[in-house]
Amino acid sequence: MGVFVSLHAQNKQLLYGFKDVPQQILLNPGAQVDHRGYIGVPLLSHIHFNAGITGFSAFDVFADDGKDFNQKIRDVVYKMDAKDFFGFNQQLEFFSAGLSLQTSLDKFVYISFGMYQESDLFSYFPEDLAILAYEGNHNNLNRRFDLGQLNVSAEVLSVFHLGINKKINSKWTVGLRGKIYSSIAQASSTENNGSFRTVQGADNSLNHIFDLDIKLQTSGLSFLEEPNANEGLAILKKRLLFGGNLGLGIDLGFTYQPSPEWTVDASLQDIGFINYSKDVKNYILDDYLEYDGIQALFPEVVTDQTAQDYWDEVSTVFDELFEIDSTTTAYTKWRPIKLNSSVSYNFGKKTDQECNCLDKSDPTFQNRVGAHLFAMKRPNHLQWALSAFYYRKFFKGLQFKTTYTVDAYSFTNVGLGMSAAVGAVQFYIMADNLLDYQNLAKSQSVSLQLGFNYIFKNNEN
Amino acid sequence: MKNCPFFKNPLALIIVLGVCFSCIKDTDFDQATPITLTPIMDVNFMEFQETSSSFLDASGTEMPFISDLIVLEVLSSDFIHDHLTKAELVFEVTNSLNKAFQIKMDFYDPEDILQHSFSIDIDNSPSHIPLVTEHTEVFEAMSLQALKTSFKLEITITLVSNATGSVLTPDSEGNLDLISNGILYLEYTQ
Repeated sequence: MGVFVSLHAQNKQLLYGFKDVPQQILLNPGAQVDHRGYIGVPLLSHIHFNAGITGFSAFDVFADDGKDFNQKIRDVVYKMDAKDFFGFNQQLEFFSAGLSLQTSLDKFVYISFGMYQESDLFSYFPEDLAILAYEGNHNNLNRRFDLGQLNVSAEVLSVFHLGINKKINSKWTVGLRGKIYSSIAQASSTENNGSFRTVQGADNSLNHIFDLDIKLQTSGLSFLEEPNANEGLAILKKRLLFGGNLGLGIDLGFTYQPSPEWTVDASLQDIGFINYSKDVKNYILDDYLEYDGIQALFPEVVTDQTAQDYWDEVSTVFDELFEIDSTTTAYTKWRPIKLNSSVSYNFGKKTDQECNCLDKSDPTFQNRVGAHLFAMKRPNHLQWALSAFYYRKFFKGLQFKTTYTVDAYSFTNVGLGMSAAVGAVQFYIMADNLLDYQNLAKSQSVSLQLGFNYIFKNNEN
Repeated sequence: MKNCPFFKNPLALIIVLGVCFSCIKDTDFDQATPITLTPIMDVNFMEFQETSSSFLDASGTEMPFISDLIVLEVLSSDFIHDHLTKAELVFEVTNSLNKAFQIKMDFYDPEDILQHSFSIDIDNSPSHIPLVTEHTEVFEAMSLQALKTSFKLEITITLVSNATGSVLTPDSEGNLDLISNGILYLEYTQ
């Protein structure tokens, strides 16, 4: 119990700056590129999966310790607070490619493009609602049950991107990537306010105060109502190929190498938005009511109204209180912006001491150490992670990178990534939270990236 | 397979095997039973504030009783039927009239058959000092079933004459006030 491992959804600290893997350029369009071009193996070039939760692990609940299951769930619920969250992120690259183009005698630009599908699910833990469900309001008089804690979003989208990367001089490389988002389906309830409170009443024992301001925005969910599965599938396919709700975004990045040993780089990803106008359905619950009970009205006192009439009135008021309005108003959402930045130091060139008949020397540095910062905008907070990394080139075709990552919760996240190439075919695999692999149930986050590419190396390589 | 570097690099294989053979220890996923929640909800019930004139007819004469009927549709809802395990109705009656009363609560089902009944005796207050009477009616087992089948509540306030009490007139000092709330013990399993 109590092993906190953070969720790093979308933090790809192993891939960031891993020069041998072409997909690193998606994290920093201004990354240094050391190949002439590449083609990703369709559907296999980048498979990314990450799921995680803060506040507890499966082990806390499923440990074979003889404790009552319900009690363990209760302990977990009471251990978590409104800052805890659950997240799931998955990416699948359909295709991608990159190519170095000669613009003049010694000038090159590197163009890369591709398309991937992404799913993202994110939810904060609605602590107050959980407490209300567990305890009710009996021992919580005057407590403000905050409905704003209800904050959940889910989306499936496809992204087409085209990036340009240019090495300006020996020190600077810059890049820009344009993105077209096509949202397949989206649902979010992130702008909630209001509360439920029970306080001592003036006219009656209690006064219930309902202050409801809840909104659920959805788009693209009508396929769920499509009775014919094939029809539904056809709709989804169309949306995958720019038939969904469209948006635009850019990524920016640079690499600065003041000396061969030192490198500083940074990027901003997904500065962009999606406008949801097609197949939109929004649900709004917005009302306020103070309720202090039924007033008994003795017919002899007021002849024209009985308690029955009064009760009918109360029923109507409650029906109206919980009446959900639906609209089809278009809405716009910003994409979650991400920042990556690192500083690194290269060292240890490999030189052959003796016979040069089979030249295996590599003029590049064999080692790199550095620090990497990741930050991402979440609805209520900035998610961050700081990593120290060590990169090691074993041969031309085998490189490793290991990371140690800390963030608000975890101090035990060690990751390992590898890129291996035989000829032009390259395979890479990266996973973090390796210490937890001794017992996955204790892990609060699982992250994996892998892929295959066909790489055209530089002539000098 | 020939070009697959994966099988040629022992280290790669170790990583992949590490991932594949990572284990889930000391756990028992079969213990997952439905989660039972047992919240206790305090809800407002009814209230009234009556002066002496509430108990008098048009000519200013005391009536033997006054009554009202409240339809409690909520009691017959599926939610209450399925999840209510115990209920308490907590009444606080404050009397400053120099008149004793009996407040009777009769719960009827939709066919007007009496399911449950109780009454609260209220003393008169000769010096018009507010006298507080508390009553908690607990519904469990049989009485809970009776409550769940109830649809209507008839409240009858009967005027009780005694040696120290006086006859009410429109000018009689004091009030008869009632406030109440329900405590609902719920249980739901998911």
